[in-house]
Amino acid sequence: MAAEDVYRQEFPVKGGDFAKAGAVACRIKDLLKDLGLDTKTIRRAAIASYEAEMNVIMYAWEGRVNLAVSPREVSITVDDQGPGIADIELAMTEGYSTATPEMRELGFGAGMGLPNIKKNADIFHIDSESGRGTRLEIVIRTNGHKT
Amino acid sequence: MKEKAYHSIHITKDKCIGCVHCLTACPTKAIRVQDGKARIIDELCIDCGECLRVCPYDAVHSHTTSFAALDAFAYKVAIPSTVLYGQFGSAILPNEILSALRRIGFDEVYDLSSICELNCAATEEYLNEHPRPRPFITATCPVVVRIIQGRYPALCRQILPIEPPREIAAKILRTILPKALNIPPEKIGIIHLTPCPAKMVSINSPATLNKSYIDGAISIRDIYPQILAALRKSQEDALMRHLFPETQFSGIGMGWSLSGGETRGLKNHRAVAVSGIQDTMRVLDQVESGLLQDIDLLECTVCPDGCVGGPLEVENRFLAKSRILQLVDAAGERAVVDPKDVSRLYHKNFLSFDHPVTPVESRPLDADPARAIRKAKRRERVFADLPRKDCGVCGAPDCRTLADDIVRGLARLDDCPFVKKEKR
Repeated sequence: MAAEDVYRQEFPVKGGDFAKAGAVACRIKDLLKDLGLDTKTIRRAAIASYEAEMNVIMYAWEGRVNLAVSPREVSITVDDQGPGIADIELAMTEGYSTATPEMRELGFGAGMGLPNIKKNADIFHIDSESGRGTRLEIVIRTNGHKT
Repeated sequence: MKEKAYHSIHITKDKCIGCVHCLTACPTKAIRVQDGKARIIDELCIDCGECLRVCPYDAVHSHTTSFAALDAFAYKVAIPSTVLYGQFGSAILPNEILSALRRIGFDEVYDLSSICELNCAATEEYLNEHPRPRPFITATCPVVVRIIQGRYPALCRQILPIEPPREIAAKILRTILPKALNIPPEKIGIIHLTPCPAKMVSINSPATLNKSYIDGAISIRDIYPQILAALRKSQEDALMRHLFPETQFSGIGMGWSLSGGETRGLKNHRAVAVSGIQDTMRVLDQVESGLLQDIDLLECTVCPDGCVGGPLEVENRFLAKSRILQLVDAAGERAVVDPKDVSRLYHKNFLSFDHPVTPVESRPLDADPARAIRKAKRRERVFADLPRKDCGVCGAPDCRTLADDIVRGLARLDDCPFVKKEKR
């Protein structure tokens, strides 16, 4: 893929910044609309990026969302510095959550975040080191380019 | 050629002095000032009327039906928004307002509170029968429907497909009146009285009907002086008329025009009400990101506090709201509609949309994705050179929008007064 055909942008996310919850996902969504991607791809990217952004806000100290869009796919990579995930397999289980009661009070932490990202992604990788941080790689293929 | 979309909101060029009030107030960034005059970009305008509220020079005009235009009809029927009941002092009862409308020239006037109650019962039935998706979004506010079509296309399928009370009322009247009066249907004019500029849009280009059942919309602001005069002339009669109330108002429907009023009558479902254009867009963003799925029904109205905050009302919205709350209290939980009737109409699909809401064409940077990507990159570079003062002098509402206009070929970098200065 020619480099000029890929749009890249980095969005910083601060842990604990609930006031800005969803801001990055919104910007990504607006951008994908400007790029003329199809509705379904945008919806999937919106849901996946929102969940990923919220994971950083809820659990990590800080993180970066890196977006790369080509006509064929939307790639969202999220790196955070934080506590990491001790048991990834367990974290991928629907309903499993380490959210605090305060987070649940706000309506977060239903344990659907990571499973929801996976459900909306064509490619999903998760890598985590306890005490260091987590890296998510999400790829969503645009319509007409489904494999 | 593509048909030009109908809009209610227009700029009166003679009055416009090209300031920036409307530019910054527009929630969809649809206004530009060019050659000293404001201009509305048709595809972006949602007819919300925010510009009309802020213009200090009265240069924003909303196209509504004039009272004189009703002469075309042999029989004139008014269906006033319940907002009308809040426009006069607390000594004036809704029945008097309806009777004043008859005196100024309407042959018949129908209260909408009962139809609001009907709509609520039908909504309950729909939610019972459709456990998914969640949340459904109410279709009463035509601006919300328009925002969803343009900005949140994925949410079109979440709009609850029951027509709003004004259309249901008009459809019922259109069914029964020609037979009852022996007047051809086209000679009967059904007119909505409203504080909302967007109702003319939903009448002229309905999003969910093949044709609206309503013939026109008169702004409350326009018809207010006539109603007031009629009320003054008959103060004595009104006193006695109180003793023979002509219409039974619905306690469930009376508060419909206040935020939360549409969903207040729901018995078994969790509803959330949002009002104001910014908050509406914020919550729709959340729904699009997959949130609020534990909510059954989301009521959105773009005017502050609901339709009672519509730009074409007369009374200030806080007083109007307080008056309507009094009326809601007075009517209590009184139901005037038989649930069995609602169920029958509902199952005959009498209350449903003719067709689902469909997205309107979006406005990508370029039809070709690869070119759109290149333009988006250029837009970032252009934006980096702009001063980020969002002053509006260039004619765009903010620097980001100017950058967008530049890559779309609609503006030039030296439209920015700061960039120009540096060059000199």
